Amino acid sequence: MIIAKGKIYDSKQQDEILGNVENEITETLSSKSIDTETVISAVEKLCCKLKNGDFDDIINSLPIDGIDEYKKLAIRMLSRENIMLKLKTELGEDYLKTLETSPPEDLPKIKITAKPLGVLLHIAAGNMDGLPAFSLAEGLLTGNINILKLPSADNGLSVRIIAELIKSEPSLADFIYVFDTPSTDISAIKKMAEISDGIVVWGGEAAVSAVRQLAPVNSKLIEWGHRLSFAYISGFADKEKELSQLAEHIITTKGLLCSSCQVIYIDTDDYDDVTAFCRDFFPVLEKAADTHKPSSIDSRAEITLRKYTDKLESFLSGTEKAPFRSDLCSLVPCRDSELELSDMFGSVLVKPLPNKNIISVLGRKKGYLQTAGLICSPDKRDQLSDILMKSGIVRITKAGNMSSAFPGEAHDGEYPLRRYMRIVNQEI
Amino acid sequence: MKYRRKLFSYKDAFAVNDTNELFLKAVKENCLYHYNHCKEYKKILDGMKFHPDDLKTIDDLSKLPFLPTLIFKKHKLYSVPAFRTIVKATSSGTAGMKSEIGFCVSDLYSGLKMVLNVSKLRGLFSPVPCNYIVFGYKPHKSNKTAVTKTALGATFFTPALSRTFALKYSNGKYNADLEGILNAVIKYSKSKMPVRFMGFPSYTYFLMKMMDERNIRVKLPANSKILLGGGWKQFYTEQVDKSVFYDLAKKVLNIDDWNIIEFFGAVEHPVLYCDCKNHHFHVPIYSRVLIRDVDTLDVLDNGEEGLVNLITPMVKACPILSVMTDDLGILHDGENCGCGINSPYLEIIGRIGMKDIKTCAAGAAEILKEVNL
Repeated sequence: MIIAKGKIYDSKQQDEILGNVENEITETLSSKSIDTETVISAVEKLCCKLKNGDFDDIINSLPIDGIDEYKKLAIRMLSRENIMLKLKTELGEDYLKTLETSPPEDLPKIKITAKPLGVLLHIAAGNMDGLPAFSLAEGLLTGNINILKLPSADNGLSVRIIAELIKSEPSLADFIYVFDTPSTDISAIKKMAEISDGIVVWGGEAAVSAVRQLAPVNSKLIEWGHRLSFAYISGFADKEKELSQLAEHIITTKGLLCSSCQVIYIDTDDYDDVTAFCRDFFPVLEKAADTHKPSSIDSRAEITLRKYTDKLESFLSGTEKAPFRSDLCSLVPCRDSELELSDMFGSVLVKPLPNKNIISVLGRKKGYLQTAGLICSPDKRDQLSDILMKSGIVRITKAGNMSSAFPGEAHDGEYPLRRYMRIVNQEI
Repeated sequence: MKYRRKLFSYKDAFAVNDTNELFLKAVKENCLYHYNHCKEYKKILDGMKFHPDDLKTIDDLSKLPFLPTLIFKKHKLYSVPAFRTIVKATSSGTAGMKSEIGFCVSDLYSGLKMVLNVSKLRGLFSPVPCNYIVFGYKPHKSNKTAVTKTALGATFFTPALSRTFALKYSNGKYNADLEGILNAVIKYSKSKMPVRFMGFPSYTYFLMKMMDERNIRVKLPANSKILLGGGWKQFYTEQVDKSVFYDLAKKVLNIDDWNIIEFFGAVEHPVLYCDCKNHHFHVPIYSRVLIRDVDTLDVLDNGEEGLVNLITPMVKACPILSVMTDDLGILHDGENCGCGINSPYLEIIGRIGMKDIKTCAAGAAEILKEVNL
């Protein structure tokens, strides 16, 4: 399905539509612009519809566990207040106004205006539902024309949201193009890239490097690559509560998000402390896994198959299954300190990392680091946060909130809205 | 293995109901063989408290312990000494985790008879020579993947006038040569002999897109065919919508939809599945498919979605008689298809364990990225 200028077309018409896009965009750029208020009010209307259950049919059909939480979160994120806060934090109070410099002495004055980059191509990832629409909304907020290439795994939710957005604010129609082009159709994607001033790419290394190859040299690449996150434990403020919150986080995000805990680091160089932690934590993790049994058919199939395979493996090896492992979750104690991807889906690595080694170990993963969920006694919190910041981490939260959204927070250490704009200086 | 011989010599490749008894006997014979010759297989059956003699009726197939494909990725299971496995195939699957399955002479002989029989369905054998365009890897000793073998194998269906490969091995890696392929297509379109395309759907699609963009239209000789293959995985990672594909083939190559034939097999279940004229994959007599409940693993009725369990007594070298794939699928009543074949047909819906999803198709897409347009 394709959306162009507010109308929905069949995927077959892609090449025809893409052929006209450049002219249409030139026309729009020269004759129209959108202001932030229009976008905010469209998003606000969308948010009301979401609250009223207008999207419940499609949302309930998604194979996601704990969908109500997602819905509540989306409603909070899309509220006018939250968007205003985002704009102010990222762009500053006066950023959208034209300012004048007042340099000392007789130095020349200039006017400063923030303008949209122009045309943004969003190449969205499929690991989070509704993300493509979110990326597009950021592009609109900054006044850009947006071309969105949907991920192949998109389930129709994004198209539905975007269609509603245009319905409630038809003037946005000229600023939105959505294509469901397969990633294999390089020539079409290349064409989109050529029309664009900036390319926003979400996804893993493969996606990012593919886009780097096909992007014209003169277009700005804005990459939101995959990141790794971990929990760091050095004592507790309230052990029982903190462990159960960490367990909830691990089970509910299934390790799939950039902010999901992949490794639990223990502030020690003694492997015995690692296994001792596993003994303490495993029952807590099992309990969380039990309360959040997955409902989607593929997760259930995977668990059933894993259980069955474990049984066959035990016949082959004649030994009992590994400790800290149940059908729904597992802890893997390790001797090394490397930050790496866990097996996900309820499985997490536990490793020793004395705080004196944090910077040297994590430094090797610079550019990939995102969130540290920090559990420690209150008196150590500032000192450990400081070390973590120096290591390259861009978010520090309490362990249970690693994937929570905080209004006004940056994205992977940067303010996206700023990257979608450029500054124009005019001599007065 | 006399029952296997009988089954694989049976004339009608889709007479599933008429061959149930024979199939059961062949499975029992195969099961007993592996039980006595593969100590790991015996351990599994003993552990599951199952003995080959428990196979008494066709319904007992559901009780036969199945082996998940992951087991073959972690263990090499053989029932014949190494020197007797003359061909080894590895799945083209997940990074660093490949299944290795071996075949001995009698397995390949059975396979050959099967291929001949199944292929009759779509008139794949013809004495008329063809020009072949293979969208696959040109065989090289470093590449053991089954896709290479099937792609090349399919060029022996009719006498080959020529073979042009899209992926050539040079400087230690495979490179895509689509310009070369395009020139070959234009050349062959002027020949009287039909052309056959063979290999990954994404390549074929890419070539046709390229032709479309450059406004190149050819009318290939009558009876030219597009043969699409890959693995099971091709079904859901293939992002090209089928009707778009068929339309494009008509537009740029003048090949009609009934001349586009898709088939697949998996290393762990090397039975050849070929689509019917309605593009459905009916189960051939060499195979039985059980769809199992994702929670209980009980066998489900036709029309219900579950895990896909595949059974075949084809192979003696490895105990792959009953394997569980990572796929979710539905078995449909054959009558619903309308093509005249009554054996049920399999539809693959998706796959579990998304982290494992890197496939040979994804690898192909990666090589394509290096093609300069």
